[in-house]
Amino acid sequence: MKTEISRRRFLQGSAALTVVAVSGAATALIEKEEHDKVASFGLRKTQWSDKLTEVPTLCEMCVNKCAAIARVEDGVITKLNPNPLFPKSRNMLCARGNAGIQALEDPDRLKYPLIRVGKRGEGKFKRVTWDEAYEHIKNKMVKILDEEKDNRSTIGYCAGEGMAEHTYVSFMQDKIGSSNFVNHATICLTTTIAGYTLTLGGYGQADLENAEYVIMAGANRAEAIVTPDTMDMFKRTKGRGAKLVVIDPRFTNTASHADKWLPIEVGTDLAFVLALTHVAISEGLYNKKFTQENMSDFEAYKKHILDKNYTPEWAEKITGIKANEIREVARDFMAHAPRSIYYQGRRTAWSFQDFQVRRAQAIFTAMGGGVDKKGGILFGKKLELGKHEIPSPSYFNAEPRIEKDKAAVVGTSGSWIAWRNTIIDGTAPYPVRAFFAYKQNPMLSVPNTSKTRQMLEKMDLVVVIDTMPSDTVMMADVVLPESHYLEREDPVKTFGGSEPSIALRKKVVDAKYDTKPVIEMMRELGEKLAKPLFEISKKYDEELQELIEDAQDEGGEEKVYKQEGYDLAEGYKHSQETINHHMVTSVYGEEAWKTLREKGIFYPDMDKYFKKKSVNTYQYYPEHKKSYSVIKGELDVEPYHDTCVDTKEIGVLKKEFRTATSKIACALYNLEKKKGVDAMPTWREELYTPTPQGRFRFITGRHGQFTQSGTSNNALLLDLMDENYLWINKRVAQEKGINFGDNIEVKSSIGAIQIKAYPTEKIGPNVVFFIHGFGAESSELTLAHHKGANDNMIIEDHYEKSFGSAAMHETIVDIRRV
Amino acid sequence: MARYGMALDYKSCINCKACESACKEENGILLGADKHRIWVGVPEMEGIFPNLSIGSSSYAPSQCQQCDNAPCQEVCPTNATYYDDNGVVRVNPEQCILCTYCMQACPYDARYIDDRTMTVDKCNFCSDTRLINGETTTACQATCPTKVRIFGDLDDPNSEISQVLRDREHYSLKTHLGTKPKLYYLT
Repeated sequence: MKTEISRRRFLQGSAALTVVAVSGAATALIEKEEHDKVASFGLRKTQWSDKLTEVPTLCEMCVNKCAAIARVEDGVITKLNPNPLFPKSRNMLCARGNAGIQALEDPDRLKYPLIRVGKRGEGKFKRVTWDEAYEHIKNKMVKILDEEKDNRSTIGYCAGEGMAEHTYVSFMQDKIGSSNFVNHATICLTTTIAGYTLTLGGYGQADLENAEYVIMAGANRAEAIVTPDTMDMFKRTKGRGAKLVVIDPRFTNTASHADKWLPIEVGTDLAFVLALTHVAISEGLYNKKFTQENMSDFEAYKKHILDKNYTPEWAEKITGIKANEIREVARDFMAHAPRSIYYQGRRTAWSFQDFQVRRAQAIFTAMGGGVDKKGGILFGKKLELGKHEIPSPSYFNAEPRIEKDKAAVVGTSGSWIAWRNTIIDGTAPYPVRAFFAYKQNPMLSVPNTSKTRQMLEKMDLVVVIDTMPSDTVMMADVVLPESHYLEREDPVKTFGGSEPSIALRKKVVDAKYDTKPVIEMMRELGEKLAKPLFEISKKYDEELQELIEDAQDEGGEEKVYKQEGYDLAEGYKHSQETINHHMVTSVYGEEAWKTLREKGIFYPDMDKYFKKKSVNTYQYYPEHKKSYSVIKGELDVEPYHDTCVDTKEIGVLKKEFRTATSKIACALYNLEKKKGVDAMPTWREELYTPTPQGRFRFITGRHGQFTQSGTSNNALLLDLMDENYLWINKRVAQEKGINFGDNIEVKSSIGAIQIKAYPTEKIGPNVVFFIHGFGAESSELTLAHHKGANDNMIIEDHYEKSFGSAAMHETIVDIRRV
Repeated sequence: MARYGMALDYKSCINCKACESACKEENGILLGADKHRIWVGVPEMEGIFPNLSIGSSSYAPSQCQQCDNAPCQEVCPTNATYYDDNGVVRVNPEQCILCTYCMQACPYDARYIDDRTMTVDKCNFCSDTRLINGETTTACQATCPTKVRIFGDLDDPNSEISQVLRDREHYSLKTHLGTKPKLYYLT
């Protein structure tokens, strides 16, 4: 190998990050006390003092929840190291995991509750006590709910993924009683979860430790790190056990590990998968026994694929991938099956046909037999935890969600774009007047930022819970600062899969500022709101009035209030530690609890099974104890072993639309009959717009050192890459006279941004790309402020009509040097 | 007493920079684009879209090569650069006069100036942060997602690094200069 050891800090330019104490450079709109400014960005060398302790915890720099051990010296965390005991994270912490200390120590953090004093969005706040903040929220909510006659759904709310997400959602959904919830799913993975679940019965876990042939389309596991997938995959690429085919319009870090990289026309994945399927069917390469025993309507599907003539030649014209390449991939895939996987992917909010793409992928994988088998897609096992029930009142006047008819199936987590647009375009059947956000930054995360701003401007109350002064925080009326993940205990979590375990995020250090974990906020807010909101329900809720009347003889109102769950703080009264203790000991006993607290991880027989195999590798379960094949008889599996999706919601979905729940579903006739969604994956010409000549399709994506907009102010991570750049084909750039670092305007129908150019051959001539998460407007983010560009300023607010999932790669842009 | 070295299974590298971050956190490295002890080399992509050479895109994790015959040590006029008992090339900040001869002499471009300590610093295999406290790995090895690095004692025939170097093909960088590096790239 020719090794070029280049110290050129690729993509980082020569501009070194200036790391100094927070100066007056950013206008301090939030009234800051002088002592706040003492804190500074920077790293601290380990001192290994005598007072050193090691505390196991779980990372929250992204969604993976890798196990870490914090080294604490004199109450200060000096290093985060990987905890080798966790099967999911396989003894590693990525760059972001290491940078958790910088997030904790970030001098820009939200430090105490705030109430807006200037105009909304102006960013002027005053420091208040927690009680003042709750009082403000109460007064607004009482007024709004009184005026809306106890229609609880007038309170909208959103959440980003996190271990405390459920605590917040249960409060808003079950206690406050609003149906208007939106979360990250429809700007992330709704279509792939729905596609795999409705086809295979579950999303499953790709067994990349044992697969021999993997197709990753769009999924970029070298940069969008998912554990254990990333670690399992890239130890076995480059001729070391697993063949990897990467389908991506960009040459990513994942592509650099591929045996074959096939750049595809953006938005044409469905044609590619259908053509693979055509090859497997017409050449009879699929697993006949498996398809016969485990798949329903396979004969109809075969006929459908052949009748539609989805040949490689047909697909070549659409996808730009040569017919012979498609044939080769299909043959190779089936030759390695059942250890062949068409990788499910995660952020699949790309195009209008995303749901059918995922259906076709799942069916194609199943045709090779790689389902519930070693080296295929596994369902594994999950270690059950005890229950923590929260009694919830039913509100007679609470209306269904506003955007329920804007897509074929709108689940309980909604459709972000459709929901927001329904509020601002005046088509909502009733007004949504308040908005709560937890750990989500819709100003940066939802396509079309200016519409999100309009939505927030329409609200009578905006409450934001976060750790950092994000752009969404800047739009708030009330800001409730959450304690950092290293400062709090979160709900204990069970992680399913072939090597299941239970992991705990334990508090490592005391809260530095006047911040609280969500459970405490919900308890205190619940105490503040319970009686006043009950009074409103009494006034308008006829069912409640009847209940009280019926209970007249036995305690009346007080009894109903208690029994029906109107005490809003109920369910949040115990500390998280107490609740966790109950959830673990009720199933596994005190010894398990002790292990979990000491080691951070627990699973039955861990002491027997866990072994160090080499300086880098560990055994979690002996091979014969791994849960590769779990289905006995009929295929009916746990919906999903992940934190990103509501299993209840998926359960409902399956129940309603999976016609033959015991088999892999090639045709979803119920979905077609009830909702008009194609029963079998079908290429829809009308849903695809080719990129016009001379213009560009804009695509967005993730990065190994940043998590959406959440890490944009992290000093250590910005030291690795200081802003995002526009990928543009080198020859196209040359024609346009664009050089590296030139300022480029990228303009779509909804807006324009400016960003520096990165001309490269790693992208095709009709596509431009930059990573998501940069371009913050918030002047309170000293390092992130106006750094790079915000993709959602230009991504048009299209969404696909099956599940209301964002179609982020349907935007055509023009570029020019400025 | 040991003779520490590191083997790198570089084919597993995904350029995620976990190693670089862990190094910085562990050793309190000054932030700033060129202030670092370890890095991942990214070669220029060969080919023209869509015909790119995948082989040309391998990542090259690198750092001080911990030479047995280190040019930086040889040229140091004050003996600030020295070999410790474990064969690790170290720097004594007290003695460094910032003459930067070592920066010129190092064929691997592995030395940088730390403006706080006024030292031409370098990787020391976490000697003063981890090894001295009984840890057996470096921060970069411990944190690596795909486990590129194997750190250990080359003088111990039973160490994993010794075994791996016996069993697997490997090469070192710029060996023709006679530097005798103790970093080994596994093929």
